[in-house]
Amino acid sequence: MIPEIEVRNLNFYYTGGIHILKNINMTVYKNQVTALIGPSGCGKTTLLRCFNRMHDLYAGNKYDGEIIFQGMNILSKETDLIELRSKIGMVFQKPTPFPMSIYENIAYGLKLRGIKSRGELKTRVEKALKDAALWDEVKDKLNANAFGLSGGQQQRLCIARALAVEPEIILFDEPTSALDPISTAKIEELIISLKGIVTIIIVTHNMQQAARISDWTGFMMLGELVEYDRTDKIFTVPSNKLTEDYITGRFG
Amino acid sequence: MIPKKRKIVSTLALFACFLTALWGIFWLSFIIIDVVRHGITAINPSLFLKDPAPPGEEGGGLRNAFIGHLLLTVFATLIGVPIGVLGGTFLAEYGRKYKISRVISTLADIMVSVPAIIIGAFIYAIIVKPMGHFSGWAGACALGIIMIPTVLRTTENMLSLIPWPLREAAFALGAPYYKVIIQVVYKGAATGILTGIILSIARVTGEAAPLLFTAFNNNYFSLDMSQPIASLTVTIFQYAMGPYEDWHAQAWGAALMITLFILIATISGRILIKRRYRD
Repeated sequence: MIPEIEVRNLNFYYTGGIHILKNINMTVYKNQVTALIGPSGCGKTTLLRCFNRMHDLYAGNKYDGEIIFQGMNILSKETDLIELRSKIGMVFQKPTPFPMSIYENIAYGLKLRGIKSRGELKTRVEKALKDAALWDEVKDKLNANAFGLSGGQQQRLCIARALAVEPEIILFDEPTSALDPISTAKIEELIISLKGIVTIIIVTHNMQQAARISDWTGFMMLGELVEYDRTDKIFTVPSNKLTEDYITGRFG
Repeated sequence: MIPKKRKIVSTLALFACFLTALWGIFWLSFIIIDVVRHGITAINPSLFLKDPAPPGEEGGGLRNAFIGHLLLTVFATLIGVPIGVLGGTFLAEYGRKYKISRVISTLADIMVSVPAIIIGAFIYAIIVKPMGHFSGWAGACALGIIMIPTVLRTTENMLSLIPWPLREAAFALGAPYYKVIIQVVYKGAATGILTGIILSIARVTGEAAPLLFTAFNNNYFSLDMSQPIASLTVTIFQYAMGPYEDWHAQAWGAALMITLFILIATISGRILIKRRYRD
């Protein structure tokens, strides 16, 4: 297994010095699914948003430590955020289709990369939609407004949009918490089918979901990474008492 | 017993709302019908094609005022809309982190309700006085300034309605901020911004007061914006106060045309909105 991301002594502070992430150390492996679980407010989404430096959009946030990706510390000031975010995509809790057609939504990221040829755009849009298992449902209405899709379809559209630019990593921030069970199942199947193609880090509130789809699981609490191990081990023989209490439903 | 009482109160409230709506609509249609009734008789080709005849003489038209009004409105839009849209964008996007943005928003709100004649007096002091004479540019500036706060606040509000996760999604694809604004946020807010622009154009089209001190009036046909220029509203004011029957008729005709323009502008704005949202 090849390491994709090395997190070393990561600390994160929100405006006013509020200490959110405390000394996180973990290795995310290439082309595997890594799940982050834990009670609300434990910092799992905050950690996820460190990987593409989303916190930089808001003033007053401070990182400390290192996140090594492709031999570079992405937390350093020299990091080109545009380049970083083109390698590390993200899918959000609520579907976020852009106010444009289905086709334009997928082509958006490609156009940002400077792809202008119509032929190439077309093939890559089609490939992304097929990879996201959405092609059959939308192939006849590519020029329709993306808001006309159902919530589950919109979320798969967002996954297709992230896939289209062929990133190394895709970050999922509770991608199914706003969806019905059938759409959730489709997204989970999709994530499993992407294993081996792209590295996935997923934050989820749903422990069963983590158990179903992930290879590695990190359990977080109060800003600390309590335990990080293979998913089967975390859910069968966790080595930490807190992890055991959480996964057996004793709290959280 | 209580449900019955509630039903009566509800019916009464509904009836009161219905009556007030009817009252409003009655006066509105009264005004429109009156304008159409008086105006329609004055509408003939020479109203649009001829310049005013000397006072007391029969005939003549308002070509100078139609063209002058068009020029004033177009240049006012060119002055007011870019400043309003870009300023609103600054307040809603880049300026979020500065306290001064809140101050500017509040000032713009106050500006919206400043009487238009005060803007006219202001332009008189800073443009007309130094230049030494009235001019079309001064008129266009006055109307443009009246447009700015409306366009600015509408833009700011419409941009703030676009949810943050949508911007984050665009950032997460590696888009720089200006592309996020132009390609994603503006697309989502376009209809709202367009409505604001159309409404502000409709508003300044009906203004006479700020033009009295700035563009003044011109009885002759002129395309020169650096000279006094005729406008429909000031002409209506002048003609309605005048002693001649002819002038009154032409003032009604001009009033009808302005009303029609505002109506068409508003309706076409609405159609645009519908078309955008259809698919």
